Amino acid sequence: MNKLLLLASLFIYSNTFSQELFVFTEPASNMPAKSLGFRDMNGFMFEKDGKLNYHNMPEIMWGINKKWMVHAQGFVSNRQDGGFETEGGSLYAKYRFFSEDAKQSHFRMAIFARVSKNRADIHQDEIETMGHNSGYEAGFIATKLLHKVAISSTLSYERAHDNKPGYIFPATQSNSAMNYTFSLGKLMLPKVYTSYNQTNVNLMFELIGQRLNGNQKSFLDMGPSIQFIVNSQARFDIGYRQQLYSTMERTAPNGFILKFEYLFFNMFK
Amino acid sequence: MKKILILTVVLFISVLVNAQITKAELTATGLTCSMCSKATYKQLVTIASVEKVEPDLNNTAFLLYFKNGSAVNLEDVKKKVEDAGFSVGELVVVFNFKNQQAANNGTFTLDNNTYTFMDTKAGTLNGEVKVKILDKGFIVDKEFKQLSKNSKQYPTYASNNKNSFHIKVL
Repeated sequence: MNKLLLLASLFIYSNTFSQELFVFTEPASNMPAKSLGFRDMNGFMFEKDGKLNYHNMPEIMWGINKKWMVHAQGFVSNRQDGGFETEGGSLYAKYRFFSEDAKQSHFRMAIFARVSKNRADIHQDEIETMGHNSGYEAGFIATKLLHKVAISSTLSYERAHDNKPGYIFPATQSNSAMNYTFSLGKLMLPKVYTSYNQTNVNLMFELIGQRLNGNQKSFLDMGPSIQFIVNSQARFDIGYRQQLYSTMERTAPNGFILKFEYLFFNMFK
Repeated sequence: MKKILILTVVLFISVLVNAQITKAELTATGLTCSMCSKATYKQLVTIASVEKVEPDLNNTAFLLYFKNGSAVNLEDVKKKVEDAGFSVGELVVVFNFKNQQAANNGTFTLDNNTYTFMDTKAGTLNGEVKVKILDKGFIVDKEFKQLSKNSKQYPTYASNNKNSFHIKVL
């Protein structure tokens, strides 16, 4: 925990820059209207027995207008015996309802919802509609950008359904949870901008927590990450997720995240 | 009667060609990073009347050059910045005037938009003149609220009409 505080204070006090395109969470800001984004998230999570779970989550994102954006995402993994399998998909929508802009700063608030289908086995207490459970998640995001430091927080309700057709949600487990996240980001490079072609380097630190409503079991993870933005439109993230504590059964909480993202501006009239 | 009519038409035309918008200095708010700036830039270059855009990344500013003789609608500039996800913090427009009379509450029409002078010294304007747009969405909200309170002597200011702009000569 001391290390955590040290890391957090380093982020707050180091005299550099920041951003809010977080790796483990979404900010309240939307992508530009009429643009399309393609994202591929790769999770390399370590199971307790040493087996490596690989999750691939390709995603297409559409900025409809300044207030609305939607995502469609697919879930592929090697968790099931017999190699890679498409386990499900989800639809995500975000509505930015508050926006206050000032010189090099902003405060935004948004609501979001995700609906997911998944047919993988249900193997843990943790509820995760991104790649594990069928169900939905709905919540609230607030993001503050202050010059080059970005701070964001999410509060959401998540509900798991049966992973049809093969797996009924276990009656002994809690099927709903509250999630909370806290994210901090800083733009480290460049110190002075000269063109759109400069590679931007961001450092992020995130906390991701969940509390199950039925039995009060909970966990808290930390996720430090480094992000490279190339040509002001391609993103490459390397993150590591580490469980800080957990009172619930989780099969593979720790591991690396590699994320690629590319933005196409003005795809629609 | 015919003479008056012709005179009116000539006067009207001369009012129309009294001014032209050549450039604009835009400061966008709500962003820092180059990805955000590029998103704004990519929106601004889609405006039909825009010839080119020069970004100033460190100040989140953009210098817009308009095509010679094209109809410029400042509302488009605002909409494009908002589509990128941000706001206009300041918009300074460069007009090329020809014997334009300036006086508080005085107006002129250009490309179906009405421009009303505010907080401006009376006189005749010639050549390139910088003016600041004072309407809602073209200045920071705080500034707009303060101006609204102190601008009762400008009856059109509160109207919030999309074709009516209020300008201050800098």
